Parts: sequence; C-alpha cells; structure tokens
Amino acid sequence: MANTFIIAKKEMNSLFKERTLILAIIVQLLIASFSSLLVVGLASFFDPSALSNYDEKVANVGIVGDGELRNFIEKSQINVYHYQDLASALSDFDNNKIDGVVVIPSGNASGRDLIRIDVYLPKSDIRGTFVTLQLKKPLEDYENYVRDIRSPRIGFEPVSLYVDAVPKKTSTYFEFIYGILIPLLVFTPVFISGGLIIDMFTEELERKTMELLLVSPASFGEILDGKMLTAVLIVPLQTFLWLALVSFNGVAVNNIAIILLLAGIIAVIVVVLGAIIAVKYKKRLIAQYLYSLILILMFLAGYLFADSPFNLVTRLSAGAIGTEALAYCAAYAALSIPLYVYLKRMKIA
Amino acid sequence: MDLLTISKWEFRKTRLSFSLKTRVLSVIILILIGAASFFVSQSGLHINDNIYRVIVTDPALLPILKTDDKFDVFVAKEPDARYMFKQGGFDILIIGNKIIHSDSQKSISALDALDKTIKKYDEARLLSYNDLNDTFPVWLNVKNIERVQSFQPVPIQKLPEFEKGKENTADAPIEKPAVEKVVSENTQLPSIKDFTELKKSSPLQEQTLATPSHFNPPIPFKSVVLSFIFIFPIYFIAQFFSSSIMEERVKRKGELLLVSPLSSSQIVLGKLLPYLLITLVMVAGMTLKLGGSPWIILILLPVSLMFLSTAFFGAIIARSFKELSFVLIFLSVFLSGYIFFPAMFANIHAISIISPITLVVKMLENEPVSMSEYLFSTTPFYLVSTLVFMFGIFIYREEDLFTQKSIKGKLLDSLREFIARVPAPLFFLSIALLPLAFSIQLMLIVLMFNVPLRLGILFFIVVAALIEEVVKSVGIYTVFSKKIAKVSTANALKFGILSGAGFFVGEKVLLLVVVASIAGSVFGSVMGIGLLIFPLLLHISSTTVASLGMRYLGTKNYLPAVVLASIIHASYNLYLVRGVIFG
Repeated sequence: MANTFIIAKKEMNSLFKERTLILAIIVQLLIASFSSLLVVGLASFFDPSALSNYDEKVANVGIVGDGELRNFIEKSQINVYHYQDLASALSDFDNNKIDGVVVIPSGNASGRDLIRIDVYLPKSDIRGTFVTLQLKKPLEDYENYVRDIRSPRIGFEPVSLYVDAVPKKTSTYFEFIYGILIPLLVFTPVFISGGLIIDMFTEELERKTMELLLVSPASFGEILDGKMLTAVLIVPLQTFLWLALVSFNGVAVNNIAIILLLAGIIAVIVVVLGAIIAVKYKKRLIAQYLYSLILILMFLAGYLFADSPFNLVTRLSAGAIGTEALAYCAAYAALSIPLYVYLKRMKIA
Repeated sequence: MDLLTISKWEFRKTRLSFSLKTRVLSVIILILIGAASFFVSQSGLHINDNIYRVIVTDPALLPILKTDDKFDVFVAKEPDARYMFKQGGFDILIIGNKIIHSDSQKSISALDALDKTIKKYDEARLLSYNDLNDTFPVWLNVKNIERVQSFQPVPIQKLPEFEKGKENTADAPIEKPAVEKVVSENTQLPSIKDFTELKKSSPLQEQTLATPSHFNPPIPFKSVVLSFIFIFPIYFIAQFFSSSIMEERVKRKGELLLVSPLSSSQIVLGKLLPYLLITLVMVAGMTLKLGGSPWIILILLPVSLMFLSTAFFGAIIARSFKELSFVLIFLSVFLSGYIFFPAMFANIHAISIISPITLVVKMLENEPVSMSEYLFSTTPFYLVSTLVFMFGIFIYREEDLFTQKSIKGKLLDSLREFIARVPAPLFFLSIALLPLAFSIQLMLIVLMFNVPLRLGILFFIVVAALIEEVVKSVGIYTVFSKKIAKVSTANALKFGILSGAGFFVGEKVLLLVVVASIAGSVFGSVMGIGLLIFPLLLHISSTTVASLGMRYLGTKNYLPAVVLASIIHASYNLYLVRGVIFG
C-alpha cells in the first residue's frame, strides 16, 4: 500500500512538472468557450432582442399590395416601405435600400383557401437572417389570427393554459448550460484521465523503465494502483475547479458533492478500462487508438438513456434530483468492480 | 535508398502494429458505434431529460406534458399541490389551467419549454385533421436572391477592387426573368407532405416553402455534422503519425536512420507520405460514399496537411507520451474550433469562408465555390503547415530528438537553425511566420464575433498587435539570447528595420493572394490593409522598440519590451479605426 502512494506521488509530481495539467485546463477552457460561443451565437440569431448589440437594429422591408397582413407588419418594429409594384421594390432591394420584400396576398382569414405570401430575402447574408427573425413575429401573429378564425370550423380546440404577467423568457441558455456545458466540463477530465493512464503505462513499457520499476520493492499491482490513483484523483480536482468557475459566473450549480462523487466513480471505470487496454496492447499507438474508439462508443451510449451519467449530472446540477442520485452512483460503482478484478488478474508478460 | 524506401518501411511498420486481433476488435467497436448512433438517431438524444419538475392538478395535462421528456410531472390535489410547490424543488405548478411559476431562472425557462411543448402538441393534433386550409392556412414562398455580400455594415476603408465589384453588380440589370421563373416553380399548392418535410428539414437548408412558425434562418447543422465525418479519419491518422514518430524517439530506433545518407527532410517527407496518402484515400472513399463532389478532396488536402504537420511537430517537441497527448489534444481542439465554428455560419455571414469546412458545407449543399474563396480559406493552411514542417525538420536531429530539452528550448533551436540556414534571416523569418500570425488573427476575429462590436474590435486590436510584435521580434530575441550576433545598438536598429520590413512585404504579398471581402471591413483595416507607407513605418518602428528594449534591458526582459512595442502598434491601429470605436 505504501508503495502505491509513492508511485502516485511520483506521477503527480511529473504531471505538475511537465505543466501538462495546465494544457488540459486550457483545452477545457477552449471547449467551453467554443461551445458557449456556438450557443450564444446561434441563440442570438433566434432571439431578436439579442441583436441590439449590432448597429442596425431595425430591418427595412418593402411591402407590395394591401391586405390583412399589412396591419400586422406595420404594428411590428420593422421599418415599412410601401411600393406600387414588385419591380420597383426589387430594384430598391437590389440597391441595398431595403433588405426584404413581402408581397401581401389578397386572400383573407374568413376565406377557405390557403393564403400564400411571397417573401424575398437576400441570399447568404447576415441581413437576410435579421429580416427573417424580425418578420417571423408578425407573420406568426397573422398565422395565429387566421387559425383562430378557421380552426373552429373543424372543431379544433387548442390546449389553453394561462399565466399572469408573462416574463420575458427563453429556455435555450438554461438548457444549454445544464444540458450540455456542465456535463461536458465534468466529463472532459474523465476522458483525459483515461488517455493519461495509457500514456503513463505504455511509456514505461516502451522506454523499458517498467523492468527497473519491477525490481524495486513495488509489485506490479502496486505500480498499477499508484498510477491509476493519480489519474483518478485529478478528476474531482479539475471538475471542482470548473464547477467553482461556473458558479463564479453566476450559474447556480446544485449538489456539487454528489457530482464530484459521480465524476470520480466514472473516472474509476474509464481509468481501469484504459489500464486494461494499455496492459493488453502495450503500444501507445494501438492502445490510444482503441481507447478513442471505445470513448466514442461510451459517449454515444451516454446519450441513449435518461439515467446516463451525462443526464444525471444535468439533473443534479439543475437541482431536479438530489440524494436519490446516490443509488445510481452505487450502481455505477458496482460496475467498476468486475473491471478492476479483471485488470488485477492480468499478467504483465 | 531513397525517400520512397522510408515510406515503405513506415507503412509496413504501422501496418504490422495492427495485429489480426486488433483489427477484429476495432471492427466490432465500429459496429457497436454504428448501432449506438442508429439508436440515438431513432430515439433522439437524451439531453435534459426530467430537468423540469411540474405539478398539475388536472390529470388530463399529464399525457400532454409527457410528450416531452424534459418534464418530470406529478399529479396532486389542489391544497397538496400548493403545499408541495411552496416546499420548493418544483419549477411550475398548474392549478386547473392556470400556471404558477417562481422568479427563478429555471422556473422561467421551464415556462418557455412548456410553451414550446404545447405548441408542438397542438401542431401534431392540427396535422391529424388532414385539412391544410383550416389548420395551416398561411404559407410563405421564400425566394432567396443573391446580392453583393457585405462583410460589415460599417466599412471604413475599401480596396478599389472591392468597390468595383460592387458597382458592377449594382449596374447590372435586375434579373427579373430569374425571379419570375422561381415564382412559376412554386405555384403548386402545399400539401401535408410539404409540412412534414418542413419539420424534418428545418433548419438544415435554405427554405423555399414554409409556414410562419417554421420560418427560420438557414443554419447548416446537418452539413457541418456531415463534414465532421470527413475530418474524422484525419484525426486518427494524425494520431498514428505522431505516435510513430514519438515511438522512434522513445525507443531510439530513429538514430539509425539519422546516420543514413538521407537528409532529415527526406526522412520526414518519406515518413509523411504514407499517412498523407491514406488520409486522402479515406477522404476520397468518404466522398464517394456520401456522394460529394471530388473537389472536396482538394479542399481537405490543406486541412490534412495542417493536422499532420502539427501532429509531427508535437511529436518532436514533446518530452513524454503524456505531454504529446496534451499537446495534440490542445492543437486539435484549437484547429477544430478554427475550422468548424465559422462553418456554422455558412450562408449567414461572409466571415465563414475563412474555414475550408465552409467550402465543404457549401459543396454538400450544391452551392458554387469560387477560386478566390478557395485561395482565401486554404492559403493560410498551406503556408502554416509548410512552415510547421520546415521548423520540425530543422530540429529533426540527434540533439533535439533524443534529449530531454524543454519545449521552449526546442522552439528556439528551430529558430536558430532558420537563422543559420537562410540569408537575410530576420527579414525572411518575419515573412515565414506571417501566415501563423494571420491564422491566429483570423481565429480571433471568429472569437470576437459574439462580443459587442466595439469591445470586440478593441480587444482584437490589442491582441493582434501583440501577436504581430511577437512574430517580428522572436528572431531578434533568438539572435541576442543565443549570442549569434553582437548585442549592440547598431545591430538592434538593423534587426528591427529588417524584421519590420520583412513583415510588411510578406503582409502585402499574402494579401495579394487572399484579398477578399475581409479587406473592406474594420478588422481588415486593423490587419494593415490600406495605406502603404504608414504601415511600413509602423512595423519598423515598433519592432525597433522591441529590439532596442532587448538591447538595453537584456533578453530576459523580452516580455516588457514586446509589450511596449505592441502598445505603440495598437495605438496606431486604434487611431485608424477611431471612427468605429468612439464615433
């Protein structure tokens, strides 16, 4: 046992000396910033209120013709320009004076036919996106207006729930932060540790330093345990750092202790798996290759069912589940035992 | 013995590492991955399952809420329900059909999710009536018309070419016939099938027919995911390449090759060849299978070179397997961000063409890709990967491969080799490192895009200046710290001028190749497009400041010297774009 700790201490020192951990943290920072950039960027496209960052706030849209829809568009925040005919509107559109043209149809809500609206937008252009978003609201209002008149004809009744004082709401950010970002931050260190144990092990084998280690008082089992201990221990440390950082940014993370426990348990599974691969295949090239394949498989499997570690972290951090999650932790812990037993029975030949 | 012999050896070595057992095992895992992704595509990703806890008093609401896995629903009688809600742990309480929520972020976002679920539920019911005229009465015919793309609404300096292009198209007659043709194509009435297709396809492609609630801007998710499949083999093969190089270093087998009559560049290129070929074959296979254009291979060639070159360089500078892993993870995350993030904005914004993947996405969506777009997005990749290989080859020698030198030491070694081998080294070193600076700056633009514009430009100016100053002065640092030339004022001045002028020349040459819409933007003007004499003076004077700083403060004070130079550089650029930031 004492030898295990000596090995673990040695590995820990080399991790800090090579500053590899710092790189790992930068990697996670990059992943986090990319994924949040992606969601913030894309979400802001779907949430016109986020567009106030840009200089052009209001879309200029040309309208051709007259009808019910006209009122809906004029009531919205869009700058409306009226045109006599489509050709003059399109000519202004081509000269960048307006960014969209709507042709208002003559049909109305009380009619029986479909109401077809022609919309002209600039192709492959950020302004096309802005116009789309700003037109969406009045068009949707109009759709609801027409539907309210027509759907009773066929006896349709919408589900009606009401709420006092509707707050400005979006679920995109919340669901992204708890559904994707936090699980990713929690499990990236786990995946890194799995690769780490393979590197620690295959390096000793390929440099032939394992033979030297084996003549020391430490047994092969102790060397294994020491290395795995290091790889597992750094996981909750990194995870805690991330969760602290996320909390610091104003995101409330619930059940931090249980999340750390779960991350640690999953780390045991992944690290033991990495060690089995390393002991079996001995060469870094092959071991890392197989490990990456298995990683992809585990990643996909993680999205297959509701009680997967990913979703548990989501629910734990959002406070939708509490100590009940300990039962799942126990189940995952039980899963690691046969793997560990299998590893311990392997011989280094 | 020649380069091809090395290639053959390398190929055989890697192939032999894959025993029959390994191959069988990887096939099994691949099949399992296929099965798992099939299940995921069938049942959807289980993200956010049971994240919201809701209490209802009306049991009829239960089946409606159960259509969305996000809700964990409890049914209770009114007084109990109110009591439970008060106790906490629940996000929404629905008494009868009245919703009660709290002010917490989670409760408000649950409200939005509830809204969406009910909308979806109603839509599904409406659809079952099979009567489009009364259920989905409003339809949009969307016509996307090509206009001249503008990079930013506030261009301050435009290159003449850019303006000319704009005028030409503006002068051209409006293509009315084309518009009318589109109208005639779309006159058939929409059907239920159109609606189900709408739900499936959005937001993957540009829409031509939509209902208002499904009217969304185009975001090429599907094509980006598809292009990820193209990149996938490249990650693996780059891993193999670096593993093989590292293994030779660790086992010291590479020493034998070094004493052979072959030059180190022949050895390295010989080793590279099989990996590059396999990558291209795999990419070609994917293209064939997924039915893309063969041009995709040409777009992914520079991307493959980039991954392989960084994998090679990582394997040369790392001291251990662990370090190699981290260096490679870091580089591939960085590169993936660079190539995939802009691609998400394909068809939305002109900036997206800085990534070659955008071109792949465009090709997958059957859109034309022009030669200038190809040059613009791939030139930095070709140049940077060549540069990385070159610096790697410089230190592909005994003293760097088989010793435990630090990463910084090895980087300095490769710079020193450059200085020793190239005439007028400082002039050309600035030019050689320029694509690297250029690529990092492009990456920065991408990152800046979600920050408010003014703040983004400010930050970009400062960091871009720092990057350029480091690139220009790192050669001088090497010369002074390794005592290659005498540390004197005359030398400091001379090196500053050479280095600054080199960077200036390189910048102009590079821009001739890649002049694109970016030149007209605010970011473009910061990157020194426009006036000629001032940028030249600026590059020379700021580098001279750094150089003199090292002369008088010593090379250990490199950092303050380069920061001072960057401040001068950044203030000039700030002055240039003052109109945008302060006006």
